[in-house]
Amino acid sequence: MSPGNRRRPPTTTPPANRLAEPDAYERIDHDDRAKGSAASSRALTKCYGEGETRVVALDEVDVEIGRGRFTAIMGPSGSGKSTLMHCLAGLDSVTSGHSWIGDTEITGLKDKDLTRLRRDKIGFIFQAFNLLPTLTALENITLPMDIAGVKPDPAWLDTVIDTVGLRDRLKHRPSELSGGQQQRVACARALASKPQIIFGDEPTGNLDSRSGAEVLGFLRSSVYDLGQTIVMVTHDPNAASYADRVLFLADGRVVDEMLSPTADTVLARMQRFARATS
Amino acid sequence: MLKATFRSFLAHKARMVLSALAILLSVAFVAGTLMFTDTISKTFHELSRTAAADVTVKPKSEFREDRLGRTGQQPTVPESTVAAMRTVPGVADAHPDVTVTNVIVVDGKGKKVGLTSDPQVQAADWFPNKQSPVELGKGRAPQGPNEVVLDSDAADHNKVKIGDRVHVVAAPGAFDPTVVGLADYKTINPGVTLLFLDGTAARDRLLGKPGVVTSVSLTAQSGVDQKELKARVAAKLGTGFDIKTREEEADAASADLGQALNVIKYALLGFAGVSLLVGTFLIFNTFSMLVAQRTRELGLLRAIGASRADVNRSVLLEALLLAVVGSTLGLLGGLALGQGLLTLMRTVGVDLKGTPLEIKPATPIIAYTVGVLVTVVAAYLPARRAALVSPMAALREAGAPPAKSLRKRAIGGTVVTVLGAIALAVGASATKLDPAHGLALAGGLIGTLVGFIVLGPVLARLVIPWLAGTFPRLFGTVGRLSRENALRNPRRTGATAAALMIGVALVASLSVVATSMKDSVGKQIDQRLGADFTLQSSGGLNFAPEVAETVRKVPGVANVVRQRETEAKVLFDGSTETISVTGADPGIDAMMKQKYTAGNAADGLAAGRIALPESYVKNRRLGVGGTVTLRTPNGKSAELRVGAVIDDEGIGLGNSGAGMVGLDTLSKLVPELLDSVVMANTADGSKSSQVRAALDTALKPFPQVQLRDQADYKQTVQDQTNLILQMVYGLLGLAIIIAILGVVNTLALSVIERTREIGLLRAIGMSRVQLRRMIRLESAVIAVFGAVLGLALGVGWGVSAQRMLASQGLDVLTIPWLTIAEVVIGAGVVGLLAALLPALRASRMNVLAAISTE
Repeated sequence: MSPGNRRRPPTTTPPANRLAEPDAYERIDHDDRAKGSAASSRALTKCYGEGETRVVALDEVDVEIGRGRFTAIMGPSGSGKSTLMHCLAGLDSVTSGHSWIGDTEITGLKDKDLTRLRRDKIGFIFQAFNLLPTLTALENITLPMDIAGVKPDPAWLDTVIDTVGLRDRLKHRPSELSGGQQQRVACARALASKPQIIFGDEPTGNLDSRSGAEVLGFLRSSVYDLGQTIVMVTHDPNAASYADRVLFLADGRVVDEMLSPTADTVLARMQRFARATS
Repeated sequence: MLKATFRSFLAHKARMVLSALAILLSVAFVAGTLMFTDTISKTFHELSRTAAADVTVKPKSEFREDRLGRTGQQPTVPESTVAAMRTVPGVADAHPDVTVTNVIVVDGKGKKVGLTSDPQVQAADWFPNKQSPVELGKGRAPQGPNEVVLDSDAADHNKVKIGDRVHVVAAPGAFDPTVVGLADYKTINPGVTLLFLDGTAARDRLLGKPGVVTSVSLTAQSGVDQKELKARVAAKLGTGFDIKTREEEADAASADLGQALNVIKYALLGFAGVSLLVGTFLIFNTFSMLVAQRTRELGLLRAIGASRADVNRSVLLEALLLAVVGSTLGLLGGLALGQGLLTLMRTVGVDLKGTPLEIKPATPIIAYTVGVLVTVVAAYLPARRAALVSPMAALREAGAPPAKSLRKRAIGGTVVTVLGAIALAVGASATKLDPAHGLALAGGLIGTLVGFIVLGPVLARLVIPWLAGTFPRLFGTVGRLSRENALRNPRRTGATAAALMIGVALVASLSVVATSMKDSVGKQIDQRLGADFTLQSSGGLNFAPEVAETVRKVPGVANVVRQRETEAKVLFDGSTETISVTGADPGIDAMMKQKYTAGNAADGLAAGRIALPESYVKNRRLGVGGTVTLRTPNGKSAELRVGAVIDDEGIGLGNSGAGMVGLDTLSKLVPELLDSVVMANTADGSKSSQVRAALDTALKPFPQVQLRDQADYKQTVQDQTNLILQMVYGLLGLAIIIAILGVVNTLALSVIERTREIGLLRAIGMSRVQLRRMIRLESAVIAVFGAVLGLALGVGWGVSAQRMLASQGLDVLTIPWLTIAEVVIGAGVVGLLAALLPALRASRMNVLAAISTE
């Protein structure tokens, strides 16, 4: 039992029965779902360009993302932190190496399987433009399940909506919500389908500090109270301080990691890197 | 700024491809039409010019020659005048010509000789010279009464060889000569089958009268001016002759063709105009979307110091570039289209034998003017909107500008539509056809069209939720998203649908009018045509009395009524008017049920009497009992008492405006007239099908006779309507193709605009299949919306037009529900097809790249 599972509150209902899907990834992770990590990579390499213009964005990266934990990936611009997240989430193809979601290897999966994996196992929160302007907040939250043709679990949906504090905003369209509210809708959408893992790409990058704090607090409570696994890319030490663990990337490699970070220790570490590389 | 404009144009060239295509198609249609008609008219004028003699002398008639030809009264010149013409100083030679066009040639298999099913044949005396359009190819010249030369194109088509016998039916009678030679067209074949006889045979066989010819060709001595020669000949011959120089003869010959060609030209240009109108919407949408997508860029330009006028000009300049590119390609397309039309002419027998396309200087000027004007007008509003972008836009989040309220549009559009509808109703209430009601109808058409275009976005909001009402239930979230996407930008949806609406409205209104016409004619035939069988002439060749005799002898035939026709002048109270006059046997009333406002058929057809049409007596102080003078083309005249007045007001279909006399009365005036129509009824108790078979057999020797029963008669009229309708549909097809391009264009640009959204949907798990379905459904609903608006408008127009024309005989209203259902289903299918490429493109997008697009 990982610590994350232990922290899962007893009020939570068990995961809704997924439709039987006899896919490779489903079969493999069936027997040892509790074991291992939520996402991992071995010798993950991503290069752009050819010959002289070849740029190595990720250089044989090995990472393990623990279940039920809030992991932040930090690093200066161009360090490869976003690329790492995109490759782990199956949004981007890799040059070599392997990566897994749970025990499903996603390197080498076809688009159709990747799409289904994203739909069923992964939640996303992007920096901006997270919501469809034509749908209401509630419709946006249930969109992945609607696309999959699955009925949302009403009790869980209630829990999520109350947690993000959007009950009185459900009928509104994104254009009628503030930036912070929009990001909270995005968080609720990511959580609502109970994914194995949520990836956030600078989820607070476009928010003022107060709204940002709200969203980050909410993400942390979803890890601690609801047992969710979250990976977040950020360049903001303050945002990283909400995580249990911070991975530092530089020049496409994981150069360090820190457990139980605070804004000050993260900032100090970042400044040390900056000095070391300059 | 100029550099920025060019760069912007190049950067967005992919997004303008469909707009350029729309301009290309419309301009190609305009240019192709002009090139085609110019080529035809120039070629034919050339041909008439080379074929004309220096001076041509023809008989003068106060009646139109073609009308007379049709009634079988060929105007002639006494041959004795030829000798007089030879004595005129400056005349090198005078050749008496015999040329007639009412001839039918039948080959050994009983088929008419010629390039088409109803070939036009010209028979003449064989006189090869430099003006002759043909020269002898094979065999020899015809000699004696039983030899002819055929043109080789027609002979090849019917596989007639030298030595074969053909059956020739001419006005004086039929004969069976042997083909002894084949003549080749020297330059082009204008679609006329030629038959030549030797000079004497031509006089006997074609005219049947000695001592007359149809015209005289004069050759001038070298150095003698044609105009001068014409004046000398005119002085010598006196009045009664129509004398023309080569140029005058060529002009006269091509004038008729020119009129027919103008009808084709303006019809084609009309359709090109509709296409242009439809294309305008496409271009308008493209520029609106480009401007919306570039709001930030335009804001930046404004922020760094570009004035509103600069931005405005920049967008219009882009439109100009697009127009020039599109029009240039359109001109090239026009060349192809013009050449294609010339090739198509071969199917109607006109072989231009590689004549190059005639490109007048005006053609490219018109093409560019049209292309540029349409594009710049369409881009004007978007350009103005671009100029209104504030410099602050550069700093704001990119995206569509906040939607303006549709309230003003709703009010304005409703007012215009209601006014238009009232005008339509006024036009429809007409009890007779007059300019005022016609104008009201035209105003109503324009008003409702403009109203619907303005109301388009408002209607989109009202109609689309209803059309797509079942989408969420049938297709789940994908269905709901496509419905929302179609409604997201009502202006864009409205403009896209408007393009389709115009095409569909025209098709719908024409098909309402055409089906109503078909049924009205059917009803009239039922009501008015009492004859079981009608025999009519084909090729303007009337038939000898033996035809009526033959019919009379067929077992089962009860009554036979003959009709003969001529043009005539009616002289009354100092006025002279040309009307056509029918001479009929007494039983006509049973065969053709005509209404009379005064008197009856028996009164009108009695000896010394005439039945005149209401349209003639209406404005004259003339009624039953009055006397008029009737003068026929041969110069004879008779005083006739008005015995009856024919009610020709509002019959519209049929021989409106014609007078009627007894057959004997007419034959006394013009003894040489032959029967143009023979009607027959079956006797009680005999089977119609047996009589028909017997008639078919009995009439075999008369290929000029067309036998129709009532069903055939209706079918003939319906076939004509269908043919016209098919041509109209075909031409409107262009407008509909452009409208479909508009749907493709809107979707393609929407997909680009929604790249991030599509990326997001894909990231959170929408499959490619679902994404494609979403776009297809959006497309289908826009297309069906456009079709529904078009049908509503078109049926409204069609019904109004039918009501207005009800007094003209179009009194049955038929709405072609089947066609309407087909159009709606067709629109849905077309929408699905239009979405193919944009959907494919959307589903192929790289998810990551799509999400991170600015």
